[in-house]
Amino acid sequence: MTYDVCIDIGGTFTDCLVADQNGDISIFKAPTTPGEFEKGFIDVLNVAAEGFGLQPRAFIEQIALIVHGSTVSTNALVEKKTVRVGLLLNDGHQDMLVLREGPRKGAFEWKLDYPEPYVPRNLTQTVVGRIDARGKVITPLDEAGVRAAAHHFKVSGVEALAVGLLWSVVNPSHELRVAEILAEELPGIPVTLSHEINPMPREYKRVIAAAIDASIRPIVQTYIKRLETALTSGGFHGELLLANCIGGMMPLSEMLQKPIYSVMSGPTLAPMAALALSDEPDIIVGDMGGTTFDVSALRGHQLIITPDSMIHDDSLGIPKVDVRSVGAGGGSIASVDIGGLLHVGPQSAGARPGPACYGQGGLAPTVTDANVVLGIVDPDYFLGGKMKLDTDAAIAAVSQIASALGIGVQEAAWSIYTTANHNMVSAIEEITVREGLNPRESFFVCGGGATAIHIAEMVDILGLTSYMIPRFMAGLSAFGGLISDICREDNAVFLTSDAAFNAKGVTATLGFLTQRGTSFFDGAGVAGENRSFEFSFRGRYEFQSFEIEVPFDAPGGQVTADMLPDLVEAFHQMHERIYSIRSDNDTVEFVAWKSRAVGKRDGQDLLNSQRIAQQSGPVVPKGARQVYLGPQDGKQNLAVYDLRGLGESATVSGPCLVENETFTAYLKSDHHGAIDSQGNLQVVVGSDLVKETQE
Amino acid sequence: MTREYDASPDAKRRIDPFMVAVLKSRFEAIVREMSLVVMRASRSAVIKNARDFSCAILTFEHELVTVEDALPIHVMSMDMATRPLTDHFDDIEDGDIFINNCPYTGGTHHADLIMAMPVFIEGTPRFWAVALSHHADTGAPAPSTYLPFAKNIFEEGMHFPCVRLVRKGEVRDDILRIGTMRNRVPDLWLGDVHAQLGACRTGARRIEELCTRYSEQTVLDFIADWFDYGARRAAAAISALPKGTYSYSIKHDPVPGVADDGIPVNVAVHVDPEAGEIIVDARDNIDCVEGGLNLSANTATGSCRIGVFNNLDASIPHNEGAKSRVKVRLRKGCVVGEPSYPVGTSVATTNVNDRLMIAGNAVFSEMGAPYGQAESGSHLPAGVGVISGADPFKGGKTYVNQVFVGYAAGGANHGHDGWLTYCGAANAGLIQLDSVEVDESMYPILIEERGVLQDSQGAGEFEGAPAMYGLFRPIGHDMTIAYAADGTTFPPRGVLGGGDGKASLTRRIDADGSTEDLPAFAEEIIPDGSKLYFTACAGAGYGPPSRRDPQRVADTVNRGWLSQARATQDYGVAFEDGAEPGVLQVDETATDAMRKSASEKARP
Repeated sequence: MTYDVCIDIGGTFTDCLVADQNGDISIFKAPTTPGEFEKGFIDVLNVAAEGFGLQPRAFIEQIALIVHGSTVSTNALVEKKTVRVGLLLNDGHQDMLVLREGPRKGAFEWKLDYPEPYVPRNLTQTVVGRIDARGKVITPLDEAGVRAAAHHFKVSGVEALAVGLLWSVVNPSHELRVAEILAEELPGIPVTLSHEINPMPREYKRVIAAAIDASIRPIVQTYIKRLETALTSGGFHGELLLANCIGGMMPLSEMLQKPIYSVMSGPTLAPMAALALSDEPDIIVGDMGGTTFDVSALRGHQLIITPDSMIHDDSLGIPKVDVRSVGAGGGSIASVDIGGLLHVGPQSAGARPGPACYGQGGLAPTVTDANVVLGIVDPDYFLGGKMKLDTDAAIAAVSQIASALGIGVQEAAWSIYTTANHNMVSAIEEITVREGLNPRESFFVCGGGATAIHIAEMVDILGLTSYMIPRFMAGLSAFGGLISDICREDNAVFLTSDAAFNAKGVTATLGFLTQRGTSFFDGAGVAGENRSFEFSFRGRYEFQSFEIEVPFDAPGGQVTADMLPDLVEAFHQMHERIYSIRSDNDTVEFVAWKSRAVGKRDGQDLLNSQRIAQQSGPVVPKGARQVYLGPQDGKQNLAVYDLRGLGESATVSGPCLVENETFTAYLKSDHHGAIDSQGNLQVVVGSDLVKETQE
Repeated sequence: MTREYDASPDAKRRIDPFMVAVLKSRFEAIVREMSLVVMRASRSAVIKNARDFSCAILTFEHELVTVEDALPIHVMSMDMATRPLTDHFDDIEDGDIFINNCPYTGGTHHADLIMAMPVFIEGTPRFWAVALSHHADTGAPAPSTYLPFAKNIFEEGMHFPCVRLVRKGEVRDDILRIGTMRNRVPDLWLGDVHAQLGACRTGARRIEELCTRYSEQTVLDFIADWFDYGARRAAAAISALPKGTYSYSIKHDPVPGVADDGIPVNVAVHVDPEAGEIIVDARDNIDCVEGGLNLSANTATGSCRIGVFNNLDASIPHNEGAKSRVKVRLRKGCVVGEPSYPVGTSVATTNVNDRLMIAGNAVFSEMGAPYGQAESGSHLPAGVGVISGADPFKGGKTYVNQVFVGYAAGGANHGHDGWLTYCGAANAGLIQLDSVEVDESMYPILIEERGVLQDSQGAGEFEGAPAMYGLFRPIGHDMTIAYAADGTTFPPRGVLGGGDGKASLTRRIDADGSTEDLPAFAEEIIPDGSKLYFTACAGAGYGPPSRRDPQRVADTVNRGWLSQARATQDYGVAFEDGAEPGVLQVDETATDAMRKSASEKARP
């Protein structure tokens, strides 16, 4: 037997999904071990080995492939524990990372300090030398100035360097020469060049990406080395791939060159999973964990890539799969303000001390406490009974809210529950409406341990009519890792317009990009027939200051003049879709070009062929419990079903609870669930719809 | 019909507390969706890029329910723009939509077209869905929407003084024809109007859905509870302020021919903590001036409230209940009051209006620490000028657009230094700063320098934000730039012993190195080979510099915003080398000695 494994390290738990060569999948969990994440990684492999009745070494030796969503770079950034970076900028532009593009603030918010730049002033140096928008050298590079800056960096003890010169995207000669000089002056110190890491005009985004990349480079390197060592000594001789934040996997060598692509990569695996689980065109993916609710979406069955993700007060700079986080998790804390309004989150009790019911010293009322008080969560069956929850502590915590609002404890718990649901709904509307998706016409795929507790009410608020609770919901991201492609994106700036279109220049640019993609495929061992390229350009109407990304077909990367009308029409259409208008008479400018190299893996599709047994006999609940369902419905005795006991085509109707070891699902009345061939719970709302799907 | 809002802590609650939170977020979501429709569907750059638009929901009785991501100046007195609709029309029906951009019927200024749609529930009008957009052109005699020299409305653009644009769902093309005929960019205008129509209809539809889902009575009960909540929050915040009457005066720069000595702006606030109420009085001001700098009643009222809310907890909802705790007193015929027909109000949302807001921010400092804010920088320096010329890289094609290379900085308040990317009081730090590369790729210019000007900020226990400066030049052509740099003559002043921020400066540097300082309000040509240098206003300081925490002084020096010499001179802080190269740390012994001797000298 051989196994494919995906390990996704989250804030609280390290999830491990194992697929055997028949496509059967199992899920395992172990606590995350911050500071030495590789320990939790090995721990969960040991848990999995036990699950298969194997010695750890025997199990690990049979693993052919491990795909891994690491959180090491995200954590370093979130906790501001990155390395000392020296930053080199143009003379006259020393404040680029101070000014940004104007940081966002609230209109009436004045009790706040202006955010510090990502690289402090004493580690920011400037050098004379300037290139203009057309690539012309206006002022030659002052090489002595570069050496002086290098000297300053040396005595400052920097561990990594970033170089961000204006217009390096159209003429990289100054950045490249700076890199040569830095290599001479500071051998062994890694250097990130802005035009290599994020080749886009708009200097702040390019340079912040370079600075962030440099600041996590040694950390990612160290982690990967330690992980490789731990795996090798554990007997592993398969292949290890790392998740990137653009919806795919990279070999280690590639990630070491562009470590910024590992940032926030874990959550991007959830929409990857939804791609495989459902054929619906427009899908919302919600993943509720301990501290946050992560929401993403698929439009036309495609991932949505955003150029605007943030980390603290800065843009991440690079485009990534759009996943929004709001502070709405099981650990989110409820409070009542001076005017008597209830708030839930964004403050969180986190994993430590966690909700009051964890019995780890937490006293603040959290969403999980409310769910225990309501009876939705069974305190004796949390994580399949591995962790006992303290109901009295939950009641005591929620009582604080009850007395502040002058209502009963159950009503207070319900208020917390429904407020959290509305917070998540706002986040869902934010991403769907902004992306031109009608949330009412979308399908919903649940991910994370807590989503299924909350999904039914959210679906009703949003007006959705169908959703899915996947069998591996609690490890949805890890599932996404198991089925995702190997992929890499390359960008290059080449300015042209429909007024004077330079087809040769575009073809040369795409040739340069596909060459990079090809060597990526070579390095990743992707077979020729499994390779493909997707192209897009970033364009704008003349005098617009923001570009939009437009996909286009270019067989073999060849662009000819007679393709121009198609490119322009594609731009108009995309502009109309995003902004509701098109300007057929305006000049269209092409600014940057992108190729996405997508490689299929052998066995990647096997997972979809797995089937569970047909339901035999009547569907019988494993028990029942009292759940408070809000002021209108009051307390009701709900049937509780064990998901593991349900076969294909088994049906359950709300109001009821469905559980397995890793999650609890609450189905409202008029929500009808049916188990599909892969063991996922497919839910439709309204009785008419049930008939339609059954026909 | 006006209702009272019960600000008492034990006010009657009509619906479950959680429903207040729920419906609050539903209304916010509706306004966000309306805003997205405007942003997506609008065509002009000023709306899409600079976000110069706002959406809101009001009750049919003109009470502000929700604003989200809006520019404060657009929405804080939106009721004044809808109220005349119910005065002028007694036959409002479901499906009607109205437009209003006239300051004499409650508008802000001629460029802000306010569109309002009544929302009917079960046959009764219950709400207004409102979308305001700043249009690129209004057909004024000169191709601009800011006309400081326009004496009266006959020198302004097209006015729509409460006009029914849509009758029972049918758009009236005759009204649109009036709008497009007198407009330099009729397609843009029409596209932007359609975007507003879409937003209003979206808002109305969503409110109807909300009433269906939760029942009309629940929604109406929510509104009542929600206003009480706003009143309660505002009253609680006001009751924590010291009782008294406080006043403040400030002055807009001279504008030749309109106000040769500048325009003084006086504000008094009466704080009544027991009642939980504030009265802002702006009646003690000069009469209207012969130009476009007069405020409209709408902007004057809004700005008086904004100054108050800038000094209260930002989490107070800015709804009618909260607004009801802030009363505004204006005078007819006053430059910062109710303008006398037909005097000009073309620039009613910036300039003098900014000064009124700044005075409103600063007047609270008369209560002493920790209240109030120091003065912030004034608006429209050359860094946000409109540049134009013939692009040599595009065969001499004309370009014209406003750039945002650098703009005014914010004043300090107790506990915090000023906000760097402030962009004037009306913009409240919400306007995006241009990318150097994007500007250089769109226009034939080179931005040689753009950054933070050391030692420009007003000193204080809390410092103003330093000024932004820039140096840019045309490539291969002559460039024209138009700007209106208030704060050149009267820079921001500190409060409670804080220092003044640096004035705005506009300078041409010629190829031979000679320089000429340019006037504050002008349209200038920068010839090929010359450069334009500007500094926007810095923010002013709050509290005496001698009280500034030496560690904060060290942080500002290490950030490069303050020279060591100024730190020693202004703050009496001495330094020694820190552990890291290029980082100083406070020499505590020397600092103590220096500060002690300074305070002894200061004694009588």
